Amino acid sequence: MSAVIETDGLGKRYRRRWALTDCTLSVPAGHVVGLVGPNGAGKTTLLSLATGLLAPTAGTIEVLGGRPAAGPAQLARVGFLAQDSPVYAGLSVADHLKLGARLNPGWDAGLARGRVDRLDLDPGQKAGTLSGGQRAQLALTLAVAKRPELLVLDEPVASLDPLARREFLQDLMEAVAEQELSVVLSSHLVADLERVCDYLIVLVGSRVRVAGPVEELLAAHHLLTGPRRDPDKLPDGLEVISASHTDVQTTLLVRTSDPIMDPAWTMSEVGLEDLVLAYMSQAAGRRRRDNRRHLEVRK
Amino acid sequence: MIWLTWRQFRVQALTATAALAAFAILLAATGPHLASMYAASAIPGCHGSACQSAVHTFLSRLTVTSPYPIVYLLGIALIVVAPAIIGIFWGAPLIARELETRTFTLAWNQSITRTRWLVVKLTLTGLAAMAVTEALSLIYAWWADPISKASGLATSGELAKPFIGGRFSSVIFASAGITPLGYAAFAFALGTAAGALIRRTVPVMAVTLAIFAAAQLAMPLWVRPHLIPPDRTIATIDSAGLDFGNLTATVVPGRPGAWILSSGAVNAAGQPVSNLPAACQAAMAGLKPSSPGSCMESRGFREAITYEPASRYWPLQWIETGIFLALALALAGFCFWRLGRRRT
Repeated sequence: MSAVIETDGLGKRYRRRWALTDCTLSVPAGHVVGLVGPNGAGKTTLLSLATGLLAPTAGTIEVLGGRPAAGPAQLARVGFLAQDSPVYAGLSVADHLKLGARLNPGWDAGLARGRVDRLDLDPGQKAGTLSGGQRAQLALTLAVAKRPELLVLDEPVASLDPLARREFLQDLMEAVAEQELSVVLSSHLVADLERVCDYLIVLVGSRVRVAGPVEELLAAHHLLTGPRRDPDKLPDGLEVISASHTDVQTTLLVRTSDPIMDPAWTMSEVGLEDLVLAYMSQAAGRRRRDNRRHLEVRK
Repeated sequence: MIWLTWRQFRVQALTATAALAAFAILLAATGPHLASMYAASAIPGCHGSACQSAVHTFLSRLTVTSPYPIVYLLGIALIVVAPAIIGIFWGAPLIARELETRTFTLAWNQSITRTRWLVVKLTLTGLAAMAVTEALSLIYAWWADPISKASGLATSGELAKPFIGGRFSSVIFASAGITPLGYAAFAFALGTAAGALIRRTVPVMAVTLAIFAAAQLAMPLWVRPHLIPPDRTIATIDSAGLDFGNLTATVVPGRPGAWILSSGAVNAAGQPVSNLPAACQAAMAGLKPSSPGSCMESRGFREAITYEPASRYWPLQWIETGIFLALALALAGFCFWRLGRRRT
């Protein structure tokens, strides 16, 4: 399967601070891909690099096989919705559609008008007076009506209230189904992604911690509960993602392809949110240990 | 892209057009009467010294005839200030506001490259800036034509003083001819480039104003006098129309309308003197029948003058305009480089 975004050793530095380092990942085509990670993991930087708004400091990035924003043709293939969906406050909804029509050779005027009608946006209203949800809908309309092959959305629902959030995602999914788009969507909230994504990438500290189709991820991870024991004495082929202990009990989140036969363990399914959190805290724990080791060496 | 540029620029464009129209109406209402005053004066077809008194009469009448002195000064002020206003309200927000409100994420993700976006924006708005300023300058030149003609004839700068002076005086030079084009292009490009660098509209506006005002001051004070190496001459005291207060020349003999850069009396040995020689002070006070001029003359004093002849008016205009256009292009180039690096 071809990749929509392919990066190799990608890094971006702002003055002296690295926002993204050594990021290597491959985002497959034909999916709604959720890019999830804590704040500051480099999601926005990665997506800005993918749309060519930023140029990489190190490494390479290819989007749909081309250099991001290399030319009008490349720009036409990628639709982007930036964080907080900025629109021109002084321009009306109709002006925005006209802007899209004038600047995109592949503009689908019928699609754009249909969306605006369905979403009940007043064409004469200034975009600056729209609600956050309406603004996001307008920006999404601009992004999908140019008929891109890949739609990139950076925290599209972060600033929306729960109702607007649900409406936006529903609407997004309809557009995706109609147009057979590949979508990459970032969020720090797993709950948002759970409803729409069929592929998940967990990015922590600019490193990909886990990636794969949601169903496969859920099938391969299990929550084990049993009497307290040392997690090192576990059968082979079992990767412990997180472990927590009480005096008598041990709870493990493990990844395995084989079923677990040991009757001492009670096995249960794991939710997407717990799975993501486990990977995030694993990464955070590792970093803390690294830091501690670092300090000891310095002494 | 042309449509988007116009759509985002339309309010500023209409404001500028309205201001230009209001100014044109003011000039059109007062211009014909000014021209008729000139036609009725003794200046057209005058000869020799009769001209001086005709100019004196005409200009003195004008200084007390409302609203000419006010309109005259207002016009010059407007032409000098217009580029600054353009730099602040057209140039500064062009990139800075897109970055500040993050709408660049929208603009630069349409199927059009950032370079093309900037080319169209800079070209259209920049041309509009130059056109508006030059239009102001041209209709004003039409209106002020009688005054320019009269002060051009005046051999003494004193006469033209209420009207700032001849066409070489620092403010008038920068508001007439083709220099307004250069100032407008420079101010606009300055605002745009500062916006690409600082990225916040209001600070960019302040920076644009400060730098442009500094450039407007620096040009006549330190740059313009050195653009073409000036001529020098030694003239007799009388022919230089000496101002005995500070011993400076008011005319260059045989060079009507020349721009005097510096002048001062020198003694017989060729050394500069800064004060009226003691021997001639009595003549100044009127105690002796001979004038201070002939007193100095008889003691071997001469007037040394550094000047640009009137024929260098247009070469100087072209050079000054060229300098500002070159600066404008360099600043525009900076914008492309800055946006091309895609630091947002």
